[in-house]
Amino acid sequence: MALVAVAGLGLGSLGALLWQARELHPAMLWQEPWLAAVLRFTLWQASLSTLLSIGLAIPVALALARRPRFLGRRLLLRAMELSLVIPSLIALFGLVAVHGRRGWLAPLSDWLGGLPDDYLYGLSGIVLAHVFYNLPLAARLMLQALEEASPAQWRLAGQLGLSRGVLWRALEWPRLAPLLPRLAALVFTLCFTSFAIVMTLGGGPASSTLEVALYQAMKFDHDLALAALLALTQLAICLTLWLVALSRGGTPSLAVGGRPGRPAGRWWRRDAQGLSRLTDAFWLIGLAALLLPPLVAVLVAGVLGLPEMPRGASLWPAALRSLSMAFAAGLGSLALAVALLAGRQWLRDRRRPLAAALMEGGGQLILVIPALVFGTGLFLLLRPRLGSGWEGYALVVLVNAFMALPFAMQVIRGALPGLSAPERRLADQLGVRGMARLRWLQWPRLRRPLALALAYAMTLSLGDFSVIALFGSPAAPTLPMLLFQQLGGYRWQGAAATALLLLALVALVFAALDRLTRHPPRHRWRAASPQGRPDARLP
Amino acid sequence: MAPKVQVVGVALAALLVAGSVQAGETLTVYTYDSFVSEWGPGPGIEEAFEARCGCDLAFVALPGGVDILQRLRLEGQDTAADVVLGLDMNLMAEARALDLLAPHGVDTGALDLPIDWSDDNFLPYDWGHFAFVYDTERLETPPGSFEELLDAPDDVKVILQDPRTSVTGLGLLLWIKKVYGERAPEIWARLNERVLTVTSGWSQAYFSLFMNGEAPMVLSYATSPAYHMAVEGTDRYQAAEFDDGHYLQVETAARVATSEHPALAREFLAFMLTPDFQRHIPLGNVMHPAIDLGDELPEVYERLIAPESLTFTPEAVQAHRREWLREWRNAAAR
Repeated sequence: MALVAVAGLGLGSLGALLWQARELHPAMLWQEPWLAAVLRFTLWQASLSTLLSIGLAIPVALALARRPRFLGRRLLLRAMELSLVIPSLIALFGLVAVHGRRGWLAPLSDWLGGLPDDYLYGLSGIVLAHVFYNLPLAARLMLQALEEASPAQWRLAGQLGLSRGVLWRALEWPRLAPLLPRLAALVFTLCFTSFAIVMTLGGGPASSTLEVALYQAMKFDHDLALAALLALTQLAICLTLWLVALSRGGTPSLAVGGRPGRPAGRWWRRDAQGLSRLTDAFWLIGLAALLLPPLVAVLVAGVLGLPEMPRGASLWPAALRSLSMAFAAGLGSLALAVALLAGRQWLRDRRRPLAAALMEGGGQLILVIPALVFGTGLFLLLRPRLGSGWEGYALVVLVNAFMALPFAMQVIRGALPGLSAPERRLADQLGVRGMARLRWLQWPRLRRPLALALAYAMTLSLGDFSVIALFGSPAAPTLPMLLFQQLGGYRWQGAAATALLLLALVALVFAALDRLTRHPPRHRWRAASPQGRPDARLP
Repeated sequence: MAPKVQVVGVALAALLVAGSVQAGETLTVYTYDSFVSEWGPGPGIEEAFEARCGCDLAFVALPGGVDILQRLRLEGQDTAADVVLGLDMNLMAEARALDLLAPHGVDTGALDLPIDWSDDNFLPYDWGHFAFVYDTERLETPPGSFEELLDAPDDVKVILQDPRTSVTGLGLLLWIKKVYGERAPEIWARLNERVLTVTSGWSQAYFSLFMNGEAPMVLSYATSPAYHMAVEGTDRYQAAEFDDGHYLQVETAARVATSEHPALAREFLAFMLTPDFQRHIPLGNVMHPAIDLGDELPEVYERLIAPESLTFTPEAVQAHRREWLREWRNAAAR
């Protein structure tokens, strides 16, 4: 059902474009030689960004896992969760304030004499921005995978006094390896379809992505055929990649199924001593240096803009509207993700791996379809009239739920296979089925990943501008809409304050969901999800 | 609230006599986002118009002028719009080609534009020139022409917008084409040396980059400084006046032929050229009003540059846009 809905809506919107377009000439793609150059550049920057984001995320995640307690760890984790969902306009503002020609770092790079003063523009800037966005996401998801490791394993590792190399081979790499292909595909797709960042920091028409061509074809030229063709090209490239990633990723190793029966503890690690202290500090400080200054820049600008905050009349209702829409979209996204993943599992149990991969790939489809195509396609499907008032918002919620689906799936995936074969047999023998099975066996493991997924989905929807711009109503704006309205009216300081409020809400959503699910459920005997915050208790 | 009926112009008087404007109707106006925001001219205009028509004025805002055209195109005969407001001259020909618009029927005698206006469908409500806005604290003597900009010292960088995705970007494309004609590609290639970066939209260029001090100049409107001067009380940002002349943007509104409230739509268009509408334009939309506002024009408008206006006909833009864009892309892609 969910697959049909996702694929149906995604492909349906594309289909609507094609159907509307009078004629379609695939040859058009080759008649525009510059498109080849655009494609080359898009692939190149996305590969580079992915390689750096993922490559650097590994040591960062390892360092975070090795250091379960240090001052500001939780703040850092929260900032990592934030980075993915910051609207590009705000992220750009922060990056420019720090790395720009007049940024905070400019005196430093002058003093060092090494960096050219406009390294923020051109390929280096694009890659910097993409790493800023994606490294924290990748590292956060890797950390989650590392922390799922069974305490028994860690206890054993501690007792044996395993060295760093052995730990890596025996414990860390086996947890990260199954994650990497998917994560790489996710990051690559995000960079491949990135639009505002690439244009603003790219420096000129030489560095545009396929989306720019699509945008122009769609909006200025109303050339739906070309737009659909470009969207299809993008779809083909990214889906191929996903299929490769999914087939490479294979089934997660069986060890993932064997879950601990006790809250995860922290065990003495030999590799946390000595030189590791230095290298870990290096990676963590590096992460903080990448991530925090732009956020602080937004914070400072926002605080300075507080006196210019729009009159309460529009600000608080907008915040409330944003939150409630985000909540609805988040729940919708969760439901879809669980349905798709359960479907995948069902198919896999019946030994139909291809269908299972297809099911899973279907969820990622959304990532590849540009919002413009999705929105316009939906519009064409729902003609003649739509886009005002209540219906418009319902549609925005729906589309946002779909947009967040790939992220929700990414977060929940690891937790959903749930019971290992022996556990399942035992449960079957004891007759623990249906609701009881869900409540006693599955829910405790699912609640934390579900909360994280809900947080991602909600915050993505909170920051959404592209979809709301198509269907929203200006008299009742959401926060991002309000932000753009302020910018259009030269209200810089008020806009900065709105941006700050948006960031604060995002942080709040994460904090609230984290707090709600931090404590294990009451039935302690089979409690605590493996994601139980390990730094909260001692062995 | 009793309708306060003011008789404005012959057309409106005739309408009122015909008695075709009924209370309780809803007039739907498609426009762009910043027009109807809390800070835009929309709320003031809505209040003023509703007070006189006894009707309900409903704005539907889309992200920009291009999106209004796009929405109209997608909805076709079924559109809910009675009036579209926010199509600039460069979109007029494409909008006309949809065959969805009706004559405005408004006396244009009150219009005060830098060019003569005679169009049956489109009625202007404001205008302004594209210009390079500069930071006086970083640039003491701004360039006075394209040649001076092209020959400026290396550290004079400028932030542009992409003509494929932004209205101001398209404005610069037409501006350079108008000034240089066949030589445009050569000029683009030289201008590249001055360009810090090209953004997808005006907001990124102005807010994320220019206000962060990334470059001393940004492509914007000649009226932008008016806002800084009047509301922020600073003279820091000014527009550089070019001897070559500046490309003109005229924003227009038009009536939709399929509208169920044609009389009300006509009344709204006539209202557009009254002070009750126009007084919200200078600081709400930060553009020049389309009529002479007299003393009501904010004082800062006297201090803006008043360059010569350059334009192409809407038909010329429609006919050549793709070709000129290709020319730009080939010349500007390093």
